[in-house]
Amino acid sequence: MLEYAGGLINLLSSGAVTTIQIFFLTLIFSLPLGMVIAFGRMSKKKWVREIFKLYILIMRGTPLLLQLMFVYFAPYYWIGLNWDRFIAAIVAFSLNYAAYFAEIYRGGIESIPQGQYEAAQVLGFTKTQTFVRIILPQVIKRVLPPISNEVITLVKDTALVQTLGVSELFRVAKNESSRIFSTSPLAVAGIYYLVMNWLVTKALHAMEKRLSYYK
Amino acid sequence: MLKAQNLVKKFNDNEVLSGISFEIIKGQVLAVIGPSGSGKSTMLRCLNLLERLDGGCVEVEGEVMVRTDDNGNVIYAPEADLRRIRLRFGLVFQNFNLFPHLSVMQNITEAPIRVAGLKPEEAKELALGLLEKMGLSDKAEAYPYQLSGGQSQRVAIARALAMKPDILFFDEPTSALDPELTGEVLKVIRMLAQEHMTMVVVTHEMAFAKEVADRVIFMDKGLIVEEGSPEEIFNNPNNERTKAFLNVLKSY
Ligand SMILES: Nc1ncnc2c1ncn2[C@@H]1O[C@H](COP(=O)(O)OP(=O)(O)O)[C@@H](O)[C@H]1O
Ligand SMILES: [Mg+2]
Repeated sequence: MLEYAGGLINLLSSGAVTTIQIFFLTLIFSLPLGMVIAFGRMSKKKWVREIFKLYILIMRGTPLLLQLMFVYFAPYYWIGLNWDRFIAAIVAFSLNYAAYFAEIYRGGIESIPQGQYEAAQVLGFTKTQTFVRIILPQVIKRVLPPISNEVITLVKDTALVQTLGVSELFRVAKNESSRIFSTSPLAVAGIYYLVMNWLVTKALHAMEKRLSYYK
Repeated sequence: MLKAQNLVKKFNDNEVLSGISFEIIKGQVLAVIGPSGSGKSTMLRCLNLLERLDGGCVEVEGEVMVRTDDNGNVIYAPEADLRRIRLRFGLVFQNFNLFPHLSVMQNITEAPIRVAGLKPEEAKELALGLLEKMGLSDKAEAYPYQLSGGQSQRVAIARALAMKPDILFFDEPTSALDPELTGEVLKVIRMLAQEHMTMVVVTHEMAFAKEVADRVIFMDKGLIVEEGSPEEIFNNPNNERTKAFLNVLKSY
């Protein structure tokens, strides 16, 4: 029994590694991409704004599961391209999460009073300096709580990737569960997810705390 | 020092400045008074390039910042020149607009370091000197949320002074303050006046305007209705609207 528990933990840990990879890679790509989309969404040119609005509408208005399958299968049906499932998953997740982050960034940027831009402008800061040194630090503080919510959701959403046949935590647990005819692998996988989210929450709280030196 | 001619500014169809002309003389304090909505803030914002004019001409020590040609086209100097001209001006806002994520010290040193290219130690020394002058030596490491309104405004003044402007503009610097805190800010402006800092002060503090101003402009509905020495404006106003405005204030 104990021997089996050890084997199960090893098995699930290998799945968890894939899950963690999906999690971090998605964040690495979607957090900056979201900023680009936020700028597109706030562009002075109406047609640019409309394009990004449509993008955000599609990404937030259709199931992530559907997007995941679309991104993986569409190149195959269109041009016969058979690409890597894992990469397809990262692409789909990044595109989707970037849309959510973009709206959060936009809310944050728009909540900074106009007076901050004006004070910076009068002092002679360039537009880039104003954004990087004056606006962005304040935006980060304001968006951290809503970003945290999304990040916690992302930990759980990684389970969707199993539909593409990627052996991440959930798929490994599910297969093992049917093989040994027991729900215990699923329960253990649940604990893995909980621990991951506990760590993520702790890290995000630490960041919020670091930014709490001002109001 | 600065010559403004026939400034016109419209927001859509609403003409807020209807052709105002005035001069800012080196070493003098120009007070701008007038009812709210008369275009005082808009005038300051146009001079500081926060708004673009729809007509008129502004010259700063002979250099053209903006002019209007015979066909009514408003032509601004190239962006690089505007950046340089802008650095000759400082603006103190009604509600301070301090940067909340930066300490008092950083609020003051950020522009001298990033824009004027001072070394951090030089900027810090400059800031300490200014803070001492403002009576805020003990607040260098504080953050804006820890300051009273009067302290915040004095930091904002120090921040503007750190860029060594030729002209310092104030837009109702005491209007957002509790009455008991206006004194400490007015004291600082008075001190700057004694040092012959060139200043333009939009204010509702008539006694203060009368005391520190070398000249006073009374604005109403986008026009300069009357201009003169403080004695002329406050003791012997010629214009009916000036009289009415001053009477309303007295009745408070
Ligand atoms: N950004 C703006 N858009 C539209 N109207 C404005 C704007 N700024 C000021 N105004 C209008 O211009 C007029 C003059 O405003 P302002 O210059 O603030 O007056 P004052 O500072 O003398 O009280 C007001 O009627 C105001 O509503
Ligand atoms: Mg005003």
